[in-house]
Amino acid sequence: MNPDARTAYPVLILLALLLAAPLLGLLNLGSMPGFEAEDLGFWHSAYIRRVLWFSLWQALLSTVLSVVPAIWVARALARQPNFPLRGLLLRLFGLPLVVPSVVAVMGVVSVYGSDGWIPLGRSLYGLNGILLAHVFFNLPLAVRLLLPVWQSIPRQHWQIGEQLGFGPRADWRWLEWPALREALPGVMLLIFMLCLTSFAVVLTLGGGPRSTTVEVAIYQSLRFDFDPVRAVILALLQLALCALVAVIAMRFQRLPEVEITLSADAPATGVAPQIGSMLIILLSAVFVGAPLLALLLDAIGGPVAEVLSNPVIWQAALHTLMIGLCATLLAVLFAWMLLQTSSDLANRGHTGKARLIETCASLIYVIPPLVIGTGYFVLLAGRVDVFDWVFAIVIGVNALMGLPFVIRTLGPAMRQHRMRYRYLCQNLALQGWNRFRWIDWPLLRKPVGLSAALVVALTMGDLGVIALFGTPQTATLPLLIYQQLGAYLISQATVTAMVLLGMCLLFFWLSERVIGGCDHA
Amino acid sequence: MLEVDALKFAYPGNDSPKMCFELEVPAGEILSLIGPSGSGKSTLLNLIAGFVEAESGQIRIAGQAVETMPAAKRPVTMVFQQHNLFPHLDLYTNIALGADASLRLNEAQRQQVIDAIERLGLVGLEQRKPGALSGGQRQRVALARAMVRAREVLLLDEAFAALGPALRAELIELVAELVRERGIVALMVSHQPKDALIASPRTAFVHDGQVTVLQATQQLLQSPEQAEVREYLGSL
Repeated sequence: MNPDARTAYPVLILLALLLAAPLLGLLNLGSMPGFEAEDLGFWHSAYIRRVLWFSLWQALLSTVLSVVPAIWVARALARQPNFPLRGLLLRLFGLPLVVPSVVAVMGVVSVYGSDGWIPLGRSLYGLNGILLAHVFFNLPLAVRLLLPVWQSIPRQHWQIGEQLGFGPRADWRWLEWPALREALPGVMLLIFMLCLTSFAVVLTLGGGPRSTTVEVAIYQSLRFDFDPVRAVILALLQLALCALVAVIAMRFQRLPEVEITLSADAPATGVAPQIGSMLIILLSAVFVGAPLLALLLDAIGGPVAEVLSNPVIWQAALHTLMIGLCATLLAVLFAWMLLQTSSDLANRGHTGKARLIETCASLIYVIPPLVIGTGYFVLLAGRVDVFDWVFAIVIGVNALMGLPFVIRTLGPAMRQHRMRYRYLCQNLALQGWNRFRWIDWPLLRKPVGLSAALVVALTMGDLGVIALFGTPQTATLPLLIYQQLGAYLISQATVTAMVLLGMCLLFFWLSERVIGGCDHA
Repeated sequence: MLEVDALKFAYPGNDSPKMCFELEVPAGEILSLIGPSGSGKSTLLNLIAGFVEAESGQIRIAGQAVETMPAAKRPVTMVFQQHNLFPHLDLYTNIALGADASLRLNEAQRQQVIDAIERLGLVGLEQRKPGALSGGQRQRVALARAMVRAREVLLLDEAFAALGPALRAELIELVAELVRERGIVALMVSHQPKDALIASPRTAFVHDGQVTVLQATQQLLQSPEQAEVREYLGSL
């Protein structure tokens, strides 16, 4: 008689199969042609040592450089609730979530590159560029993750502080830092993980012998050095690294929800700190906005007609669209099915089981795309033509990448919804299709639309597994941009980047509108 | 007729009390349930409705055993304190869902919905969404839907708790009328002991997961003999 939704279980089985196959491929290392026992002593390889060291070092630096300034930006935003462009600014900070990484890299280069507005050194290729691009993505993310910390401080605490005559320093010490300390490890570990597995940024800005991460080295071993044994060893190494970070991260599960509410209870500060806050906010806005603006200006002055009249770009756009839409559909469908069950379990007090189901949806953080890709590569190689499977694999991996985003966006809404109408729907015998059509869909389509919008932009802009399996005939726009950059067709790449960015924003907007529908009074 | 026989239940966890309910309500009666919060009043309603599963014991409605039926199949309808209505559906649709979950109503069902709307004084509000209704109107809509559903047992879980005294009395009278007219059974949980005086000839006192007292409402409220009832009522 237990009426919990059971929809999660088929999805969990499917996820297990999809992830077990490539892992088996990787673990089959011993019987791979060309494998010798000495290969396992990878620690003695200077190359692998260097790659490993660089991966960790750039991830650590990126994390610190993103999170430390983000604390000050978030603090400034939280304490300036009446800042005139606050809403616009928060939307700007949401943009890097939607901007494809290749596009952002090009923007960063056109601002800070040797021919850019503010040239930083001779060349951005190498550690400097990688750090800049990672901060471009993760500083706004950290701001959005940390801002709720200030909103979690009760209004009464600020009022007590005011009564006790707290200045900014005492506020920080007694109110802000204690709240922040809870959230900080989770945020830092998430960003560390994102930078550790970052692919497109390192591929385009690094990649030389001195600035290659494990993720990119996997790709280079497979596609350039034709050394699948080394690729598999690197993939297993990456897997171990991610698992380690994930285990540490599990101890700090207090990651705040990515949700922006415009009400802040922090009182406005005095005039001098106010000017300081304004400066911090403006600087961060310029940092995030400038690359996109620079790229847009470059593209307008670029060979627009020439690029757009080439059928190659339209074929790539079609592939991009197909992959984006299919992956989004799968991610939303799977997330919905998982969340129905996990919400019911959580609402009956089984929070452990509920969390387990939702954690399975985030396995992509532990088993990064390139690792899955490598697994499928070695599994399929020799049996079928792996390049025929490009779309299936890319759609599958991209759906897995989108899954955690949908879970986070739709999860809280689904849980509350199923809590509120659980008994009523049972009482009215509203089940299955009737329940979905009349109750669940109309009340949940808004968060579904928002999460679909995020995922469609994310998957259309992804340059990851497609680099491993793509050929010129099956290229997507991000891969085409990478190929154009590789051929030094910078101005063509700039225009293509704008087409891709335009598509991402268009489909973000469309998904939110079409799926989300209009407001219910 | 509603019969609850040795119905046992405990929430997961060691410190939650073992509940065991015993109750018999003849058709046409509206029985009030009072008792301290956490005593198990709502749990008893949820057990009867089938939202939670009993460990053992029987529930019979009009002689038919229902304890193994899923909630959707039981001849029971419930009105909650809040969230009875779906905010995106208008008043008419919210009531019509009670007649058919796929909203394909035949002529007779449509007439029932219209009758219920008239009976509860909701004419002219059919197109309104719940957000545009007052608290009292919303509970009327919930009652109208319960009326359309025409089940043998009507459960009211603090259904009128958020309303003022006059409105509460009016709606309770309405429920009592329905109960008499249709010969059904109603169980009414209320935090306001005085509500029991309006239409319930008998009242049950629930304490620590059991019905410890079941007697005439007047007597129970005005000259309680049991210590736990006196303690609960205070100086009424």
